[in-house]
Amino acid sequence: MPNAQDEAVTRLDSAVAEVFETMLARSCDPLEGEVDTVEGRIVARIQFTGAVDGECLLYASQATASVTAEALLGTPSEPHDPMVDDAIGELCNMIAGGWKSKLASPDSNCVISTPAVTRDGLEGYQARFGTKFSRKYSFQGNVFGVVLAF
Amino acid sequence: MRALIIDDSAVMRKVIERALRQAGLELSEVLQASNGEEALQTLRDNQGSGALALILSDINMPVMDGLQFLEARKQENLAQGVPVVMITTEGNESFVLRAIAAGAQGYICKPFTAEQVKARVLPLMRVA
Repeated sequence: MPNAQDEAVTRLDSAVAEVFETMLARSCDPLEGEVDTVEGRIVARIQFTGAVDGECLLYASQATASVTAEALLGTPSEPHDPMVDDAIGELCNMIAGGWKSKLASPDSNCVISTPAVTRDGLEGYQARFGTKFSRKYSFQGNVFGVVLAF
Repeated sequence: MRALIIDDSAVMRKVIERALRQAGLELSEVLQASNGEEALQTLRDNQGSGALALILSDINMPVMDGLQFLEARKQENLAQGVPVVMITTEGNESFVLRAIAAGAQGYICKPFTAEQVKARVLPLMRVA
C-alpha cells in the first residue's frame, strides 16, 4: 500500500516526464540513489493555495537552464538571456500544474501562483510545510532538481 | 492573418506562435501581451487595423488573468466574433466552465503538442 509521499513522488515523476516528452521532445528520468549535489543557481518557485498549501521549486545550473531554453524554443540562447530564466519558470509552472492535475478531488481544488524566478540558489531554503521531498532528474546528461513541500 | 497571444511567459508566447505556424496558419502579424490588461489595451489600439483572426490566452497571469480578460473584453465589446482559445495548466473544470461562459471557444492544456494546437484551432478558423 503506497503512502502519501510515495504517491506524490510518482505523480511528480509522471508530470516531469510528460512535460519533457510533450514540450521538449526529450525523455527525462529520475535519478535514483546517491546523486551529486545539483548546482542550482537558478530557482523557480510556484505556490499552491487552497485545499493543498505548499510549493514546488525547480532548480538548475545556468548550463542546464540554457539547454532547457534551447530545447523549448528550438533556437540557441545567449549568455544572460532573460529567456533562460523565463524557460525555467515556465517549466516549473507546467510541472507544478501537471502534479496538481493528477491530484484527486478535493485536493485538486487548489490554485497555483505564477512562477517567481531568482538566481539566489537554494542556500538557506527552509520549507514551511509538513511534508517535503526532493527529487533529481536528468535529460541528456543535464541534471536539475525539484523540491515539493506541502 | 493576425493573431494575439497572451501569456506572461515570453518563452511560451514563442512556443505557441511556432505551434500555430506548424499548424499551417499563415500569420502575417502576431500581437503579444503579457497579461490581460495589456491585451485589452492592444485590442483597443488595434480596433481600426485589420481584423484579428484568433486570440490565444493563458489563464494564470499577473495584473489581470485570462478569465478577467475574457470578461472585460465582453463588457467592452472588443474583438467581437474573434475566436478565443485558452492555453493553460489549469485544467480544473470550474475554470473551463467560466472560460466558456465568458466567450472562450476552445481549451488547450499545457503541456501540449503542435498537433493538439492544430486540432483545436483549425476548426475555429474554418467557421470564423
